[in-house]
Amino acid sequence: MNARHMARLTLIAPTLVGLCTLGVWEAACRLLSIPSYLFPAPSDIAASLHANWPMLLHALGSTLQVTLVSLLVSVVLGTAIAVVLVQHKLLQVSFMPYVIILQVTPIAAVAPLIIVLVKTTGVALVLCATLIAIFPVISNTLIGLGAVDPGLEAYFRMHKATRMQTLLRLRIPSALPMFMAGVRIASGLALVGAVVAEFVAGTGGNSAGLAYEILQSGFQMDIPRMFAALFLITVTGLVLHGGMTTIERLLLGRWMRPAT
Amino acid sequence: MMDPVVGLWGVEKVFGNGVRALAPVNLAVQPGEFISLIGPSGCGKSTLLKVIASIHAPSAGQVRWWGRDFAHVGSAGHRMAFVFQDPTLMPWACMEDNVRLPLDLERMPATTAGPLVRDALEQVGLGHVLRHYPAQLSGGMKMRASIARALVTQPDLLLMDEPFGALDEFSRNRLDEEMARLCYEKGLTTLFVTHSLYEAVFLSSRVIVMAANPGRIFGEYHIDPAIRRDETFRLSDDFAHMCRDLTQMLTEATHATFSGGA
Repeated sequence: MNARHMARLTLIAPTLVGLCTLGVWEAACRLLSIPSYLFPAPSDIAASLHANWPMLLHALGSTLQVTLVSLLVSVVLGTAIAVVLVQHKLLQVSFMPYVIILQVTPIAAVAPLIIVLVKTTGVALVLCATLIAIFPVISNTLIGLGAVDPGLEAYFRMHKATRMQTLLRLRIPSALPMFMAGVRIASGLALVGAVVAEFVAGTGGNSAGLAYEILQSGFQMDIPRMFAALFLITVTGLVLHGGMTTIERLLLGRWMRPAT
Repeated sequence: MMDPVVGLWGVEKVFGNGVRALAPVNLAVQPGEFISLIGPSGCGKSTLLKVIASIHAPSAGQVRWWGRDFAHVGSAGHRMAFVFQDPTLMPWACMEDNVRLPLDLERMPATTAGPLVRDALEQVGLGHVLRHYPAQLSGGMKMRASIARALVTQPDLLLMDEPFGALDEFSRNRLDEEMARLCYEKGLTTLFVTHSLYEAVFLSSRVIVMAANPGRIFGEYHIDPAIRRDETFRLSDDFAHMCRDLTQMLTEATHATFSGGA
């Protein structure tokens, strides 16, 4: 099987699985006459998505904004922290336990505290999402910066490369695959963080996100709208993952490509 | 008297784990020599090469390059290049950028470096893959690129650590012939670590046989540098005779126990 056939298959096969699942789901709801307030059929969810589109789109915008800002902050801040920590073993052993504490403390437990402490809701939401998304960036970048080919490292040393030349010409490019994997994980976590923070904050009005829509739908027993909001969160996650994979492929594809 | 290209006086190497890799070694490498270091595994030939490359610091003794210390290595007439066992190319850079690396590290302007890089790649027969990445090339081609990266600095001393060890016999023989042509035509002083006795005989003007536990120089074998290194030489009786002599010396070195000297 050649590469083009494989690429086509990886698109067609999951699409078919999805369509079959939707078909079975729709048929089961209709045949078993399950009311939409208990478990809506895909057609009910689509109708709700259509009917509530302006509201859901606005909520999607809010969630997406928090996700993207926190992803950006995580990437910039996480990379900077990793670059500083890799400079000296003492820095690394002094600060890494605190970075790990950030990761192992459940965001749902910390979020209420952040919401109370930070006055501006938008900033609080970004902070919550950043706390969860920053760890894979720091961790992967640190591993990447440290995992340099010893032969190349010796070569740079032999040619009396400066610390800056070694960082820019060797350590950073070496770390790129691990860094990109970290960013891909962070993109998913930023969305998780944004939604969790929105749940805790329970923000309505202008800054209402998709989590608020889910909460409201639950209170109003509007289950199709709940599913519609959930569907948008899933699609956002998939688009983010796809986007990161594309960027990764553009950046690394050329030098990861095997001989043809 | 002219200073040797590299001089080692009582050089020893003991690693942090207590392994004594080199007993006191004395060696003088004269300009234009092609020296092969050969010996059983663990005899310290790679360690010796890395001490000369200043990748390892000696535990005792003194190393001098052109009669001076390592700080002067890199200046005009005192350039040193190292070819590793693996190609150690940057996977994220194309061939042209990989070969240009040592020139970039010494901040040579791109206009000056460009022709040197292309010339080095032409010399090793890679002029047609300037924009290819290492992942797109075969093992032999990557090794050639590694050699081009060494040649681009126009070195006065070339150090090679089993560069063709991972290649098939056919590629290895072809690269040996190309290496011999490049080094003998330019009169390039070369130190070459190898496991292959045939390769050592084919390439060298002097073969240094080492013994293990601890690593030390056991003996030397001289070969006329004027011999043309080609297929005819490889198939000649002289070549077979030299290989036989060296095999005998290597067998003695393998069985030798340390008694304070060779």
